[in-house]
Formats: sequence, structure tokens, C-alpha cells
Amino acid sequence: MKNNNTWFWLFLAPVMLALFFVVILPLIFGIYYSFTDWNGIIATRFVGIKNYINVFQSTTFLNALWFTTKFAVVAIIMENVIGLALAMLVTQKFKGRHLLRTVFFMPNLIGGLILGFIWQFIFIKAFAAVGNVIGVSALESWLATPGTGFWGMIILMSWQYAGYIMVIYIAYLENVDHELIEAAEIDGASAWQRFLHITIPMIAPAFTINVFLTLSNSFKLYDQNLSLTAGGPYDSTQMLAMDIYNTAFSQNNMALGQSKAVVFFLIVAIISLTQVYYSKKREVEV
Amino acid sequence: MKKKWLMAVISLLLVVALTACSGSGSSGSKKVTINIFQYKVEFKKQFSQLAKEYEKTHPNVTVTITTVGGGSDYGAALKSKFASGNEPTIYNIGGPSDVKDWKGKLADLSGTKTAKLALPGTLNGVTEGSKVYGLPYNEEGYGILYNKKIFAKAGIDPASITSLAALESVSKKLNDKKAALGLKAVYALPAKETWVTGLHSSNVFLSPEFNQDVTKAFKSKTVSFKYGKQFKQYLDIQQKYSVQPTASLDYSAQVEQYFSNGKVAMIQQGDWVSPTIIGINKKFENSGIGLLPIPVDGFKTDSIPVGVPMYWAVNSNKSAQEIKAAKDFLNWMYTSNTGKKMVLEDFQFIPAYKGYDTSKIKDSLARQIYDYAQKKKTIGWVFMGYPTGWGMNTLGVDIQKYTSGKMSWDALVKDSQNAWKTSRNQ
Repeated sequence: MKNNNTWFWLFLAPVMLALFFVVILPLIFGIYYSFTDWNGIIATRFVGIKNYINVFQSTTFLNALWFTTKFAVVAIIMENVIGLALAMLVTQKFKGRHLLRTVFFMPNLIGGLILGFIWQFIFIKAFAAVGNVIGVSALESWLATPGTGFWGMIILMSWQYAGYIMVIYIAYLENVDHELIEAAEIDGASAWQRFLHITIPMIAPAFTINVFLTLSNSFKLYDQNLSLTAGGPYDSTQMLAMDIYNTAFSQNNMALGQSKAVVFFLIVAIISLTQVYYSKKREVEV
Repeated sequence: MKKKWLMAVISLLLVVALTACSGSGSSGSKKVTINIFQYKVEFKKQFSQLAKEYEKTHPNVTVTITTVGGGSDYGAALKSKFASGNEPTIYNIGGPSDVKDWKGKLADLSGTKTAKLALPGTLNGVTEGSKVYGLPYNEEGYGILYNKKIFAKAGIDPASITSLAALESVSKKLNDKKAALGLKAVYALPAKETWVTGLHSSNVFLSPEFNQDVTKAFKSKTVSFKYGKQFKQYLDIQQKYSVQPTASLDYSAQVEQYFSNGKVAMIQQGDWVSPTIIGINKKFENSGIGLLPIPVDGFKTDSIPVGVPMYWAVNSNKSAQEIKAAKDFLNWMYTSNTGKKMVLEDFQFIPAYKGYDTSKIKDSLARQIYDYAQKKKTIGWVFMGYPTGWGMNTLGVDIQKYTSGKMSWDALVKDSQNAWKTSRNQ
């Protein structure tokens, strides 16, 4: 038995070492720096929790937190609803469903930065041109107001991410036992009832995974945010990651940025773990 | 059992191999390597040619160049470069706040030939007492660029614009004839680019209260917006007659889409737009663009802001031999005949040093800026002395709010003043 234990740790050692050096150690350093006056070059003194007090007094941080939360809620719903709808569509029996799967998944293969620039062009140039022709002024001046900036981000993210979410739903949908559905059909259950009471509970693990993915993804979003709106107009679409980057690198306030990053880490960790815990509890075993 | 051992050993070896890759030997011979870490992407190719030229005549010296572009990205990259222990020999600093941040890693360059030949005023931001910590790259300038053809068609004499009121009436005149001139609007105001509004525009109107001295701005605990009324008027004119919406209008739309294609008559930009415009319409760049001063009523109405965008600094942590090699390299670049020729003709720099044959400046905008500088009709750059991030992230963002109608001018002034005070008292 003792021998076994040695083997266990020996095999684990490379991974543990790597994890320690590239994840744990930087995290500890990061937390340490957040209590100092570190400017990216040297840390001269210990300032206690002063940085953390400043974090919660910083209006840009609180605005970014609020915007990110709003964005995350809407994005999670949109991405999952669209993803599930697409998955239902391409699991029907019809010609061309395999082609459609590829097409829906494709946006996910394009990098976030490039997508942002593509959509910036669509929103600013194409929307304005179309709006001009059909005389709908609501299509003009997109991304120039906070509202259109917000919806621009939502559209971009749903477009990119729904296909990815769809793939996971497909995997679970195809595993739903057809006998169950047939039995329900014979018992007289309508299509809606079959979906609500059989399909949904059977694919519950997919919800756990997808909500987790979309949640952490929305919170950590940076590249699409940078290339689509760059936080504008007037910082109204600035998300947490961008606020942290700007604090650290353009305002040169490394220690404050580091504190914001620690707070950010805690928020993401708490929300994600809570979500996984509750979703897990609701899954059904077959 | 044997297999298990083997596997474990191999996996450990792999980890060791990974970490070992980063190690490298250092040579102890007389050969010197100068590592340069610089920000200017535009002249990367020409600069490495100059380095090769230098290596030819100085066989003991190897020059390696790393380029990371963009203002804030360069600063971040430089910090991580230092943190990694792989410190460069020559790097760039922007002004007084960088001098403060990097103190202890900056060699004194006051004794170099290059520093002695620097034009008056160009070393202001990097001098402390008798010590000089940076050598200017070049000079850059900006103002209101106008389309000569459109002005001529509309019958406007650019020399008549000697006040903000005159600028406004010219704008109105152009706006009335918009359709006939084929314009979309008179201006393209890129409020999205906070460096254009928050740094460049503001510089013109804040410079006088700091005596046009970047060090004074850097030491000032407060900002008064003494010429705030003029600043407001200048922004109002551009906003009123600009392509809308300005909040999402960016640099490339301003310069490429609108100005280069003759869709707007005026934009506020500097000589750095030349390569872009040449790429679209070479003839227009050569002869079609005029440069107007930004008039500040009550201060100067005939001058353009000219300054040094970035400085070369030498790392004082390096060995004496390496520091000397770095200084020699910089001296050679700016004072030898070969170096001077390349700086002027290949880099297309407006030289910040004496002893250049300026008739060789090819670029038309650079020429016009150099003429203003010769006549001493300049306004000093002070924005490098703003609190870090203040210009772009506070003032620039507030200007976006102001032009979108979400903030009054008084609130903008107050907010900017408070932010300045707070960051100076930290």
C-alpha cells in the first residue's frame, strides 16, 4: 500500500509542479502585490487594505461590475436559448443537417478580436446604410450610445458562442432514449409536454456545463469587448477585465489593478461554484 | 515495475527539459550585444537596416532589436521585460513620469555628443538638474489639416483663419456649400480616439497655463482650465460640423475613409498620417494638404504644437562597457553622416538635432511643420506631464460624454480638475 502511494505522487509530480509554478505561485504573488504599492517595477511598502478600499470606491470598477453582471445575465439566456434551439433543429431528421451543424459552429472558429472588428463594421457601416435605405433611424449610430453598445455585445457573443453551446446540447439530445419519448407519445403527451417533462430533465447535465461555460466566459470577456467598443462610448460598455487592464497598464496603477483582479477572481469563483453546485443537484440519474 | 519507473523518469525529464530551455550561456569575450527594446512600429524595417549598417563598421558590436507598438502596450511590455530579468540595454521613455518610474535604471546621457546637439527645449521632459536621461527620437507636430482643393473651390483663404470665430465662420461657409463640394461634413471629429481629444486637443489649450513646460505640468498639483472657454468653443465647432455620431468615429474612419477621400474638409491630426494617406492617394499627400494652426484666442493663434513623442534611454544596470557601446550607437545614429542621412531620408524624421540638411525632408506635412518650428511658431507639448492616464481615461472620456450631450462643460471641467488633484495627492 505504501508503495502504491509513492507511485501515486511520483506520477502526479510533473502536473503538480507545473500547476504550482504557473498557477498557484503567480496567484500568491498577485495577492501579495495587492497589499503593496507595487508599480510594476518595484514594491516599496506595505499599504494594508488601502487598495481594496479604493477598489470599492472606484466608480469605473463598480460601473464595470454592474455592466458585466447585466451582460452576463442576458448573454447566458440568449446563448443557451439560441444554442438549444439550433441543437433541436439540427437533430431533426432532414437533409443538410450536418452541413447546418458546421455552419452554425463556424463563427466559433474565428478569433474574438477579428469578430469584434467584423461586427464593428456591420454595426457602424452596414446598419447605417440599411437604415438609410429603408428609413429606420434606429439602425443608425449603433455603438455610439450605451444601449446599442450593450446590445451590440450581446448580438456578437450570441452569434459566436451559440454554435459552440449547440454542439454540447446535440451530444446530450442524441443520447435521450427514444423509447421514453415514444412511450410518452402513446400515453398522449403533446410535443410541448414531451419536451418539458422528458427531454429537459434528460439533458440537465448539458445545462450545468453550458451555463457554467457561458457564465465564466461572459465574466472574463475581454477581446470582443476591446475590438467592438473598446469600452466606449464614454466607458459605458467597459467590462471588468478591461477595467482591470486599464487600471494596471494605462493608468499605471499596478497594485490597484491587482486588487481589482483579486476581487474579480473571488466573484467569478463564488458565482461559478455556486452555480455548478445547484445545477448538479437538479440533474436526474437514469 | 520497470515500465512504471521508466514512465515516471520520462515525465520528470520532460519537465526538466521544459524549464532548461530558458537557460542560455553568456559570452565573456570583448564582443558587446546591445539589446534595443523600442516602440515605433512604423520604422522597424528601416531601423534594422541602420543597425546592420552599424554592425558592418563596428564588428565587435551586435545589435538586436525588439519592437512592441502602441503607447500603453509598450509600457506594459517593457515592465514584463524588466521583470523577466532579461533587461534591454536601450529602451524608450516618454517624459517626466517615466523618468520618475524608471529612476535607478536610467544612465546619465548629458555628456554625449547627441545630447549637446539636441534642439533647445527638446530635452525638457527628461532633464533633472544637470542630468539628462533621454535623447529625443524626432519631432512631431499636429494642427488642423485641410484639403487645399476644397478650400480653393469654396473660395476660402486659409490665412484668414486667425481666431476661433474665423474658424467657425469658415466652417459654416463650408457647411452651407456641402453638397456642391461633395462633402459629407466639414470635420471628422474622432471622439472615440481619446488620445486625439484628451491629449492632443487639450494640449493646445492647457499648455499656456503651464508656460508650455512639460515639467511644470508634471509638478503641478492642480489644473485650472484657464483657456477652458476657448477649448469648449473649439470642440463645439468640430462637434457641430462633424460627421455623426462622433462617439464611434475612429482614427481610420477619420483619416482614411473621410479625409483621404475628400469627404471632409478638415481634421485635427499630425505628420504621422502621411504614410497612411500616401497609401491611398499619393498625389493628395504630396500637394493637396495644408496645415493650419489651432487658434487659441488670447494666447497664440498662429502656432502649432510641436514636441518629442518618445526618448531613447540607456539602462544603467548594465556593465560600463555595454553602456558605452549603447551611447556610441546612439551618437552614431544621430551625428554621423551615414546615420544622419538615414534618419532624415529613410526614417523620414523631423530631426530634433542641429546639423541636418533639412532641405532633404521629403514629406510635405513634415516640411510644413519644420517651417513652423523654424519660425519659432510653436506651442510646447505638455500632455506627457499629465497624471498617468488622466488625458485619455478622464478628460477624453468626459469629452465623449460632453459631445454626446450627457455631461455639461462645467461638470467636465470640475471632474477633470478633481481627478487631476486626486492622482497628484496620492
